[in-house]
Amino acid sequence: MESRDLLRHQIIESLITHRTEKVADAAMNVWEKLATEIISVVGEEGFNSLYARSLFLTQSSFPWLAARSVSPQSDHRFAELKIHLAEQTPVQARVANILLLITFTDILTALIGEALTTSILRSAWGSEELMAGHPNDTSNKAGKEFDNE
Amino acid sequence: MSNKVTIRRLPTGVPGLDNLLGGGLPEFSFNLIAGTPGCGKTTLAHQIMFSLANPDYRALFFTVLGEPALKMLRYQQQFPFFDINKVNESIRFVNLSADLLKGDFDRVLSRISDEVKAYAPSLVFVDSFRSVVQSVKRDEQSASDLQRFVQQLGMQMTSWQATTFLIGEYLAPESESSPIFTVADGILWLSQNLHRNSMVRKMQVVKMRGQAQAPGLHTFRISDEGIQIFPRAIVQPADALGAPIKYSTGEERVSMGIPGLDGMLGGGLPAGYSVLVVGPSGSGKTILATEFLAEGVRRGEPGVIAAFEKSPSQLLNNKLNALVKAGHVGVIDTRSLDLSIDETLHDLIETINRMQAKRVVIDSLSGFELSLAPEFSEDFRGSLYRMVAELTALGITILMTSELEDRYTDLRFSPFGSAFLADAIIVQRYVEIAGQFKRAFSVVKVRGSEHSKDIRLFDITNEGIVIGETMSEYAGILSGRPTLSPG
Repeated sequence: MESRDLLRHQIIESLITHRTEKVADAAMNVWEKLATEIISVVGEEGFNSLYARSLFLTQSSFPWLAARSVSPQSDHRFAELKIHLAEQTPVQARVANILLLITFTDILTALIGEALTTSILRSAWGSEELMAGHPNDTSNKAGKEFDNE
Repeated sequence: MSNKVTIRRLPTGVPGLDNLLGGGLPEFSFNLIAGTPGCGKTTLAHQIMFSLANPDYRALFFTVLGEPALKMLRYQQQFPFFDINKVNESIRFVNLSADLLKGDFDRVLSRISDEVKAYAPSLVFVDSFRSVVQSVKRDEQSASDLQRFVQQLGMQMTSWQATTFLIGEYLAPESESSPIFTVADGILWLSQNLHRNSMVRKMQVVKMRGQAQAPGLHTFRISDEGIQIFPRAIVQPADALGAPIKYSTGEERVSMGIPGLDGMLGGGLPAGYSVLVVGPSGSGKTILATEFLAEGVRRGEPGVIAAFEKSPSQLLNNKLNALVKAGHVGVIDTRSLDLSIDETLHDLIETINRMQAKRVVIDSLSGFELSLAPEFSEDFRGSLYRMVAELTALGITILMTSELEDRYTDLRFSPFGSAFLADAIIVQRYVEIAGQFKRAFSVVKVRGSEHSKDIRLFDITNEGIVIGETMSEYAGILSGRPTLSPG
């Protein structure tokens, strides 16, 4: 169990670390994909409660993650996270986001088990990305970099 | 004749359910799984889904407001049928709560319809339906919206070429007048009944279009393995379907294994008969039953015993123990106090088939009645009648024992009035003779056969039961206080 946990953690780490876009944008991309998949399975409320809980737990390491609004709007659910991340140094933001994702998936795993969680992550992020641990679409990446200028 | 449409029947994968449905689930049918909270609706749906789904036969499971999807996934995973490898590949879970919260049925409908188009499932589940009803039961307008919604959903579901299920919370079939009941092709009603301190789960196939479902309430159990149903034994009408029911002709006789007893029965017990051995505690009923089984084994006929009197670990007696250990006699697990007769019958028939048994002993009816959930005790005679009919129809010869309160003023055959369902009756008694308790017995009844009318003494020795002399010089033996008849 321990080693499988570690694998999921490693995957998240490399998924975030290897992103070349701005940290906050990369985070948004990962979170939006994850949210879409999880909401389709467990519903909006299910996702929101998991997300709120992960934010709360991660705050002990990164107090600046504290949410100001209580109920996030579905349209800009991660707007606040994006602002918070953008205010930090890229390294700091990356580490915080990794911890937040790990915390989130840990809670999900505790509830529905590793196998089902991995299966959901795979459909959210694509199995290639999960396996290789880095973005596979270089043309898209270039476009995003352009957008960010 | 060959132009008629053939409806494929899908095996549900739930033990016993196919029998209940009349041969499986009709493909493309629109079914309702209904019942009170906690009665096992979602578990039943999941068990059917995981059993049927494969990459070429995919399933879509919509969760609505009822059970939070996270919890459902968490708990349903505990069952062995929940195959995680099938999730996503063959089974997709879709949550509709966001669409429903906005109260817009059209949006829910189009969402369901879009998902179905995109995934092209062969099985569709919507769990749970009552929550759809409740979330809008605010005014008249929404009530009629709901009716429309349900009808549209029903119509849509039929046209999808998918076998569909609505799972809903309802209290009782009669108290609901939902349009869904009219539209549905099949209705499965689940309930849990409390009686004193015991709870019994029951399932009823209220409706199943186009096929003969097993009527009435049937018990089921939810164990770690999932749901198992025990279809209620129903006495088959005589050869309505040309069913191979064996009626005892009385010509073939079965030896009881006790010297002299066969003769008293008119040449042995007719095969396929049920015999009731009645007597007070310690009169030798179990020993007689043991001899009956041992004689079968000697003749190459394995036996089965349902022992309710003792725990299996301290089995009855050495002789029986040896037969069981050698594998000649099967023992029915009699987990006590919340059994249903049908569950016992199910176990019995399974063991009978496995062992090719010809002889069955139920020791005793009194213990059997005690081990049943209180609810079934009330209908004990009726259920017992069905059970005996079912077993004798298999050509099995049954020996049942029944404890009899030792009364010395009147004669009774059994405390349940169950004597009528036995084809033969042997009564045992204690009698007081010359300052001693002696055992006496008599063959009271052998249906359609000559039998001895003697009342005879018997002894229980290390070699078994030894039948003694006829007590012809006594009268009033069965009262327990015999007197020497004059002359």
